[in-house]
Amino acid sequence: MNRQPGRNLIVAAAAAIIALVSLAPQAQALQIKRMTLSNGAILLISEEHQLPMVTVSIAFDAGSRRDPVGQEGLAALTATCLSQGTKSLSAADFNQKVDFMGSSVSVDAGRDYATAGFTSLTKYEDQTLKLLVGILTQPGLRDADIERKRAETIADLKAAEEEPGYVAGIRFIKTLFGNSPYGHRSSGTPESVAKLTPADVRSFYHKYYRLGGAVIAVTGDVQADKIKALLEQELTGLSGSVPAQAEPAAPTVGKGVEIKLVDRNVSQANVIMGFGGIARSNPDYYKLQVMNYIFGGGGFASRLMEVVRSENGLAYFIGSGVEAGKFPGAYAISLGTKNASANEAIKLVLEQMRRMQSAPVSDAELQSAKKFLVGSFPLKFDRQSSIASFMLQVELYGLGLDYAEHYPKLIDAVTTQDVQQMAQKYLHPDAILVVAVANQKEAAINQQMLSEVAAGQESASGASTH
Amino acid sequence: MNNAIFRYPLIAALTVVTTFAFLPRANAGMTDAVKTETLPNGLKVLVLENHKAPVASFNVFYRVGSRNEQFGKTGISHLCEHLMFKGTHKIGPEEFSKIIQENGGEDNAMTSTDYTEYFENINRDRLSVPISLEADRMANFAPQQFDKERSVVEEERRLRTDDQPEDALDEQVRAAAFVEHPYHWPVIGWMQDIQRLTLNDALAYHHIYYSPQNALIVVVGDFNANTVLKQIAEAFGAVKNGPKPPPVTEVEPEQKGERRVELRHAANLPAFEEAYHVPNLTNPDAFPLEIASEILSDGKSSRLYKDLVVDKRMVVDVGAGYDMTSFDPDLFVVEAQMRPGIKTEDVIAETDKQIAELRNSQVSANELQKAKNLEQAEFVFSQDSILREAMLLGVYQMLGNYKLLDQYLPGIDKVTAADVQRVARKYFVDSNRTLGVLVPTGVLPHEMGGGGPGGGGVRHAEPIGQVAR
Repeated sequence: MNRQPGRNLIVAAAAAIIALVSLAPQAQALQIKRMTLSNGAILLISEEHQLPMVTVSIAFDAGSRRDPVGQEGLAALTATCLSQGTKSLSAADFNQKVDFMGSSVSVDAGRDYATAGFTSLTKYEDQTLKLLVGILTQPGLRDADIERKRAETIADLKAAEEEPGYVAGIRFIKTLFGNSPYGHRSSGTPESVAKLTPADVRSFYHKYYRLGGAVIAVTGDVQADKIKALLEQELTGLSGSVPAQAEPAAPTVGKGVEIKLVDRNVSQANVIMGFGGIARSNPDYYKLQVMNYIFGGGGFASRLMEVVRSENGLAYFIGSGVEAGKFPGAYAISLGTKNASANEAIKLVLEQMRRMQSAPVSDAELQSAKKFLVGSFPLKFDRQSSIASFMLQVELYGLGLDYAEHYPKLIDAVTTQDVQQMAQKYLHPDAILVVAVANQKEAAINQQMLSEVAAGQESASGASTH
Repeated sequence: MNNAIFRYPLIAALTVVTTFAFLPRANAGMTDAVKTETLPNGLKVLVLENHKAPVASFNVFYRVGSRNEQFGKTGISHLCEHLMFKGTHKIGPEEFSKIIQENGGEDNAMTSTDYTEYFENINRDRLSVPISLEADRMANFAPQQFDKERSVVEEERRLRTDDQPEDALDEQVRAAAFVEHPYHWPVIGWMQDIQRLTLNDALAYHHIYYSPQNALIVVVGDFNANTVLKQIAEAFGAVKNGPKPPPVTEVEPEQKGERRVELRHAANLPAFEEAYHVPNLTNPDAFPLEIASEILSDGKSSRLYKDLVVDKRMVVDVGAGYDMTSFDPDLFVVEAQMRPGIKTEDVIAETDKQIAELRNSQVSANELQKAKNLEQAEFVFSQDSILREAMLLGVYQMLGNYKLLDQYLPGIDKVTAADVQRVARKYFVDSNRTLGVLVPTGVLPHEMGGGGPGGGGVRHAEPIGQVAR
């Protein structure tokens, strides 16, 4: 029963580790066929017949970055309402049919894209696909179902407000991005969701669920020709494409240490700190991956983990991540530490930022990062869900089907000078946002001390941080 | 519903490992292809070739978890797991993970009530790396930075339990449900115990439990089984055994009458958890109980979801949980978090109606078949990852024999509507129940009485009960 969105943040810090594990040499292990369907969608297929199961995932340009200001949560509510049956099938009957086959069918709105898909046994592939096609092309979107899902979403959001990590996360992105497309969680807020109407949902669906530009990833025990034919025959009617969205200005943080505190009766301070980052299309992406691995993205191989967790025992989770999306995302560091050591942990992170900037990393660190980033590539292909998500990313972010051969070269080319330059360009200890959800009396965040550390001054007050 | 905790909060998906089911083809094929060997020092090894992707998953299980602990020393199993990364006579603290990552691999570890597992997923041509590293820390355990790592575990407890009201409630419910058996205490341990554990405690614990005779290796992936068996024999063959681990002999006395616990905790929304004592897979009732949990809460057409989430709109979420692979009889749990403005007692009453329905009338043929189909699909899906495959084999081997997996499908398939009703009548009764209620005291500091935080319990960040690295 753990659907609390707040978990995500913690996983997000950690997920950074996995997210970086992009590609590697053995892509020949993954044979991808790419074709354009008559309905306008791009289809990517990777057959794998070891287990009698199939995974299909369709990405639409219907992510939460499309939410109009004041209607935060609309993309997510639309996605969740789509799985409430079709014009001829009630939500209850739809669920009954899906469950009876043991299949799972879902529609979810992420920040950049919404994905609709299923996993089923091979023997139920056709029937499950028809159910998915049904909710996409002939969705019920009945008032009663939409109102019910809206109430559920609001209840989920109220529950999430108990999660310190979740609270820190929304405060962080809201402060950093403001009203720009990345300034809110996909799920929205209880206030914004309460205002959404069934008409809003139907209108969002009609506007953004279009097959022109949509990408379909299929993997598992399928026959490429058969599923292509089936998709062309069944998945029809959503013609046209979605107009491009203007790229928002990259987020910036003003000079100094901007601190946002949320007071909660918790034993651990949940801290997120960071600044604006880059888009996936930025050519610095690969160099930044290497820098981030060494700084805080590489798990136990990273400096942040070594200093904050291993050497000082201050945190169970600590890590940094680059959220490089369609638009420039955040570069964020998150950690959890007992209230009383919040100052100390934040200070250590700021010091490590300065260290990344002031001196080149060792050659051993560089080589170690490269070996992981390149060598861990095959792990991406262990599960159908990860294969499908890899294929979607290759297409949506224009990486090219030969990306797997390309990628090791991009990583291998990175030098220690590059890493230092990336740290200087993208880490901003002196223009940083720090959000801390904590028992503020116990945490007693010391702005002056942190500002001095951030500015690279030997902090006179540093000794008294605990 | 034992509790598992990971070394690092990496892999949420993994924690569903103990969901399993069946499929004739995949199931039979899987265990038939397993090769086994027992080294002269007693170390059992299972190897399974799987050529889907050019990777392998190397897993070492030790038959030690929180059930092997004593009052006053709770949490030592999990702390010991953390310390396994803090150095040996040959390598320094955290070098283990660094070496694995340099070889393109990922590693983690997990402690549950019953066992502790270490795993590395890695490129097939680097499999010798985790083999030698795992042999080294089995034989040459010499952790450094003890105090710091104990602090890390305290932070982990704050994260997982003390600041997670529902986990804090679960901890209290288990403590009330189990009076004598070690399932009484949380896997991560009570905070006061963790803070008093010493390096000597850990060294002594490792000496007893981390020996070949108490371990099991499971490897799944893209390799030649005979070659890997040979590599393992060479690396682990010389590792010596410590004393024989003492058996866990506690038997939980029969519960005679409902127990109620209340937890007042910083939270906005109330929650409750009801727990019934149930047997594990050594008892034929396990399969009907598994079906009962499917009927109650697997899928959006399940009874509790449909009634409490969809129709009556009373809860944020509701779930039933049962894990038949616990080493000793554990709990069947039903839990829910209320929506704002909904009274806990009303939801408990509604839940009890659903439980009573299982006792009072037989499930329909269609509903029974749906539950079986869900189990079948989930079993196939669980084999999609070589790590999960390895975990499945490991757990069943520790329960007696990995071949028990072959009996899962037939066991589920044999369940009748009458069986489900029979087990509901036998176990889902008030006198066998512990009911825990979370009374929220608000999330703002000034809303708390003088008590302050702490005292909280453990929450299922992952609904099964394990603690990871």
